[in-house]
Amino acid sequence: MAQTVRPKSVNLGPGFWPVTGVLAVLSIAAAIFWIVVPEPLGLAAVAETAVLTDILFKALAVVGSVIFIYVAGYVIYFSIVFRRPKNAPPNTIGVQIHDQPVLEFWWTAIPTVLLIGLAIVSVMLLNNIYNTAGDVLTMEAIGYQFGFQYRYPHVPNPVSGDMHVPVNTPITVHVTSRDVIHGFWIPEVRIKQDMVPGLVNTVRFTPTQVGTYRIECTMYCGVNHSLMNSHIVIDTQADFAKWIAKQGGAAAAAPAAATVAALSPGDAAVGKALFSQKCSACHALGPFSQKIVGPGLAQLFSDKEHPKLVNGQDVTPQNIAGIITNGYSGDLGVMPPSQINGVNSKDIANLTAYLVSLSKK
Amino acid sequence: MAVATPAVTAHAVLDHIHPEPTSFVRKYVFSIDAKVIGVQYMITGLLFFVMAGLLAELIRIQLMHSDGKFLSNDTYNAVYTMHGSAMVWMVIIPLLTGGFGNFVMPLQIGARDVAFPWLNLAAFWMFPVAGILLFGAFLVGAPDAGWTEYPPVSLQGPVGTNLWCAAIFLIGISSTMTGINFIVTIIKMRAPGMTLTRMPLFVWAQLSTAALSMIATTALSGALLALFLERVFGVPFYDPIKGGSPVLWQHMFWFYSHPAVYIMILPAFGIISEILPTFARKPIFGYKMIAFSSVAIALVGFMVWGHHMFTSGLSPWLQLSFMILTMVVAIPTGIKIFSWVATLWGGSIEFTPAMLFATGFLITFTFGGITGVFLAAVPVDLHASGTDFVVGHFHYVLYGGSVFGIFAGLYYWWPKITGYMMSSALGKWHFWCTFVSFNGTFLPMHWLGLQGMPRRYATYSPAHDAVFWNVVASCSSFVLAASTLLLFINMWWSFRNGKRAGANPWGARTLEWMISSPPPYYNYKTVPTVLATPYDFGNPLPYIGLDSAEGAAATPQSTAGHPAPVH
Repeated sequence: MAQTVRPKSVNLGPGFWPVTGVLAVLSIAAAIFWIVVPEPLGLAAVAETAVLTDILFKALAVVGSVIFIYVAGYVIYFSIVFRRPKNAPPNTIGVQIHDQPVLEFWWTAIPTVLLIGLAIVSVMLLNNIYNTAGDVLTMEAIGYQFGFQYRYPHVPNPVSGDMHVPVNTPITVHVTSRDVIHGFWIPEVRIKQDMVPGLVNTVRFTPTQVGTYRIECTMYCGVNHSLMNSHIVIDTQADFAKWIAKQGGAAAAAPAAATVAALSPGDAAVGKALFSQKCSACHALGPFSQKIVGPGLAQLFSDKEHPKLVNGQDVTPQNIAGIITNGYSGDLGVMPPSQINGVNSKDIANLTAYLVSLSKK
Repeated sequence: MAVATPAVTAHAVLDHIHPEPTSFVRKYVFSIDAKVIGVQYMITGLLFFVMAGLLAELIRIQLMHSDGKFLSNDTYNAVYTMHGSAMVWMVIIPLLTGGFGNFVMPLQIGARDVAFPWLNLAAFWMFPVAGILLFGAFLVGAPDAGWTEYPPVSLQGPVGTNLWCAAIFLIGISSTMTGINFIVTIIKMRAPGMTLTRMPLFVWAQLSTAALSMIATTALSGALLALFLERVFGVPFYDPIKGGSPVLWQHMFWFYSHPAVYIMILPAFGIISEILPTFARKPIFGYKMIAFSSVAIALVGFMVWGHHMFTSGLSPWLQLSFMILTMVVAIPTGIKIFSWVATLWGGSIEFTPAMLFATGFLITFTFGGITGVFLAAVPVDLHASGTDFVVGHFHYVLYGGSVFGIFAGLYYWWPKITGYMMSSALGKWHFWCTFVSFNGTFLPMHWLGLQGMPRRYATYSPAHDAVFWNVVASCSSFVLAASTLLLFINMWWSFRNGKRAGANPWGARTLEWMISSPPPYYNYKTVPTVLATPYDFGNPLPYIGLDSAEGAAATPQSTAGHPAPVH
């Protein structure tokens, strides 16, 4: 059997401990560098999320640097001191050691502990990244080949061009796409989500610095993928309110309470116009399966495969109005409630009348 | 052990040697000899390596300007798609499994061939056909949606995308066939006495890889078939307008393509594990830990595909699970790296080109592994995914890992394959030029990505000195391409001027070095019996029953116990 004799006192080789010391000094220097450097990515951090992500990045960089310095340092050091001398006889062999259980235990345990620590820090950040409770502004970003559109509450039409947000305000952005998968990345905010057709993904952040920053598409989306850029303009709250007003919105107006108002008779013709303005970005006038973001709505009353509404309620005008009022969140994605879509109870009545008229033809 | 051992019967069967075919076609073209098939894989794979490398240089020329006009956007998209697809499926996987696996693995376990030689022949010939289909796409409009080909944009892609589907489907089937073949070979055809824990570590790596190839590739084949059906016949699997799910493709694709990362790196781990002890003249440190960590990586590797999809809208709790499982992979990988570093300790190290590449691998792969942990952490991934940071990371793993492993393996087994020695000086030049220019090419991509440069961009924002660092990367990549030429010059040099290699020029101890170089058609006239692990340089060779003429060729080893390193 293989011999497993271990020398009682191991001669670690010339200069082992001094080299280990030098590597320790280098590791500490690298760690201090990462801890004190203000912008570890070389990029400004203009949102709460960005500051937190940078802290995690620093932690990863410290751990990574120390491990890399020791591995690379020992590889280089062993390569130099344990070189075979030119005049060594050809049958010279190295130390016949097979393993060292204590050493192996520690080099399994230490990385495990470090990884657990990094995982815990990561998990703590997830709440800030994903928990939208308490966000003040909820808006939408819609990707298309090759640009972005933004929709704001109480602003009648989608905004093309730059995305405006107010500073120091927690913001939820529902992102989706009209055609293929796009990416929505604001490097200075450190957030990114794919804009997937038929699916609503959510990013949230609280911008902290006024300024203009790039938005990039990070998912290959076609020939002009690299030209699909936009800007985010982080405004002061006053500037943002002015900008919203210029878009024709009523920013500060308190929306109507989001309860289902008693359904008054609506005008289908008005509803039709409203549908093309408010709904057609996500809903087709076709069968259920013809999805843009949400299902097609032309056969609400006559679709035998979908005898119920998507929230499981019976198909009645009142329940349709309920979905428009309260929105929907479930397997099919997310539809914002009426206060975010900027439709009032009269609009809801007209829209419902229009949807009913589609099926009764 | 008084029972009549099955080894005796096995001997009686195995000792029946078929005559070598004499016709050129049966000997070199449609051969069923695993060694010839291995060399065929290597030649074909290296040919595609040159083509895919040239495509990479086109990418780098384009990116020397922020509004690059060298290629049109269409062409640029096609070029990086073809570069990625070819490198993954036509270069790294075939070279490491089909190439080194076929040539080295049967020799190392003392077998005369793989279990299913005809299946092997079929698997190989699917490879050049797939390669021709893939590169043929350039004639009809090459695919342009990246090697991941995410629908729905890949549904809009040019007609060559259909050829891409067919090519990858074909190479996937070939990979599955090779996986089955290798598993059966390794389980059933080891020489008597070669227990699982006496197998060379390269064989352990091939066994883990074969399991991954056999199981994971089927998911890719299914996904590709569906994509093909949707593109050609309009069957709606992925198009959301028709009720399909684009995220379905991502799950199926990454269920294969993440294990594929391990298919591309585990055999390189195996190569490194052979080269380090040979040139350090030491037993590999922690044999069992290295062997079992290969298996652990293969197992956990099946459960981490979601980390490619952190931005695709996975629920946060799923992201959490995938993040933790991904970090778990770092532990066995770390164990391997630390064990290799410990193998260097106290060695009597001879820096041949193979050893230089293996040592360089330790540094570059470690770097790529560490940036992998960065990407595993969800919040950092939400910033870095889809950027040049990812491109830098996976080139450290796949070039600094897999391709360095391929280079190391070529230098190491070249004398065994051809019977000639390569030039050591030229090989060292190759290593140093490659090592420096490799880092110059891929290191800047890390901060380029972090500072805002997405991948797959034909043009980019010049902010944050992006142009400067892209020029650094591009110029380094030209040196990288030129230094690769040195490898091919060295191959040519070895045939013209190289010394004849004896059976065992490196003084290695695994079985393939116990027979002549190149090995005879039947590998082993008498199948040897294996007594111990192959890495005990202090002990006599652990084989009995080797044909004397062949066994005698092995370099005699000192048996003087455990001397301290000579200094």
